[in-house]
Amino acid sequence: MKSARLIPVYICLVVLALISIVPFLWMLSTSFKHGSDVYTKVPNLLPVDKKTGEFAPTTENYDYVLQIGGLGKAFVNSVWVCLILVPAKLLVDALAAYAFARIPFPGRDKIFAVLLAGMMIPTITLLVPRIFVTQSIGLFDSQWGLIVPNVASVLDIFLLRQFFLSIPSELEEAALIDGAGRMQIFWRVIVPLSVPVLSVVTITSFIFHWNDLVWPLVVLNDPDKYTLPLALQQLTQTESGRAYYIMAGATLAVVPVIAVVMIFQRRIMQGIAFTGLKT
Amino acid sequence: MVSPVLADKPTATTEPGRHSRRPGRGRRDHLVAWLLITPALIYFVGFLLYPALAALYYSFTDWNLRTTPDWVGLANYKDLLFDDAKYPHFWQSIKVTLQYTIIAVPLTMVAALVQALLINAIRRGSNLFRLLLFLPVVTAEAAVGAIWRWLYDPQYGLVNAVIGLVGIPKQNWLNTPELVIPALAFIAAWQCGISMIIYLAGLKGIPSSITEAAIIDGANPWQRFRRVTFPMLRPTTFYLLVTGVIAALQVFGLVYVIFSGRGQSVTGGPEQSGLTYVLHLYLYAFRYDAMGAACAMSFILFVFIMIITVLQFKFVKQEAS
Repeated sequence: MKSARLIPVYICLVVLALISIVPFLWMLSTSFKHGSDVYTKVPNLLPVDKKTGEFAPTTENYDYVLQIGGLGKAFVNSVWVCLILVPAKLLVDALAAYAFARIPFPGRDKIFAVLLAGMMIPTITLLVPRIFVTQSIGLFDSQWGLIVPNVASVLDIFLLRQFFLSIPSELEEAALIDGAGRMQIFWRVIVPLSVPVLSVVTITSFIFHWNDLVWPLVVLNDPDKYTLPLALQQLTQTESGRAYYIMAGATLAVVPVIAVVMIFQRRIMQGIAFTGLKT
Repeated sequence: MVSPVLADKPTATTEPGRHSRRPGRGRRDHLVAWLLITPALIYFVGFLLYPALAALYYSFTDWNLRTTPDWVGLANYKDLLFDDAKYPHFWQSIKVTLQYTIIAVPLTMVAALVQALLINAIRRGSNLFRLLLFLPVVTAEAAVGAIWRWLYDPQYGLVNAVIGLVGIPKQNWLNTPELVIPALAFIAAWQCGISMIIYLAGLKGIPSSITEAAIIDGANPWQRFRRVTFPMLRPTTFYLLVTGVIAALQVFGLVYVIFSGRGQSVTGGPEQSGLTYVLHLYLYAFRYDAMGAACAMSFILFVFIMIITVLQFKFVKQEAS
């Protein structure tokens, strides 16, 4: 029996899926517990009252971290940064990728090779001088300092170029003969045909920048400008010992990404399988 | 480095645009092309090329963000490598990083391969399991650190509760030097989702005719895995090994969150048992204000990663011939 043979496979998968998911469930339940119900001898996966055992969830932890913990402001900051950065980056990358893929100009392939070589430099090597550059153009400790130094990605240019190369050039030639300019071709021919790759790049870059801790950590000083991961990191320090606050903060950081991944899961999986790119 | 899935495909590099060249278009086209790549080029020069060269220059100087760099030649490198009094934890950070890499990378790959094989074996529910196993890897480092600090809590943590079920005594995971690296490696394996997806793509790429032939020849599942599936996954395994090692050598955000205490103190764990190379670098750059030394550290790492990359290219070439 084929299905009987698969039962152990399913059992293993359920166990692995539990290992994968239970940390999130525990985060959620802790975040909805009253502070007094969090520290129990036997961990409870549901927000129940320690004494009566009744189901007693609360949102008071969220109120606290959003108002006093500064995560409300940080959430808005993160949304704002991503709303500007992700589309801007997509545009910069797609335009460059289009030129590298489709417009022959002297030195093109050499320039592209140099860009690719630049990809090999570890980001950590660039970190300190990047701060220096950000400081000298006056963007240190500002939200534009999170946006401008991240506004392009060689990896994304490479991926988009690969995809653009696979679009049959006949389509473009027809448009050229009809007298269309390069920009018209880009918007009318290339972009509509590239929705899958454009969305993968958009989603992965949203996830990356929404989650990014290191760059905001080194560029921002003013707590009013903190992004969510940075504010959460701060909360982990200041409220250490109050797991219910920290877990409420973590939930705020995690839920938007999980929502995006659930909605676009097929695209994301295809994108990763195809490119191996690290989020 | 390009994923094997992508590399296997014949990339359509048929000199695009060449046929679309028509007399009279050329110069205007060049101008348009330059306009299109200009923003990316400015970014590249300003935030990649210049910083890389600057990092190299600063690595030969004594410098913090406020002073003018003071040329000291190779002193930073020499002190880092040989002056235990000045940089007492440099070699410790290398030891920690190598230990972490040696444990975390294979663990992650095995977890990813097992998950991929299991998911590949089923039809019904495969998308759901794939999604559930994928979620940890898209979670922000700050949140992962916060969640696992709580999971590893010695008194109330879920991890101790679970191992208690099989009779293992409670452990103070993040405060016992010998347990820090295994605890971190477990988190890495928990986040194996991307490797899992890449393995899954590799598995899908194995022609079913080969597997069927093995079945007809009477190979049992283990033999099929040993003799067919695993050898066919070699390029994928190799790719994941190299990218995994490169990433593990640079692990930072997670240890930063896990080992930051009240106030601003980041210590690198009990007895520096979680002081990874990049955390050490970060502390020198931003706590001890030694930017020049930090740049030197970053270049040592860069060279190390370059060596791995070059060796890997050599190896791939050897394989191909």
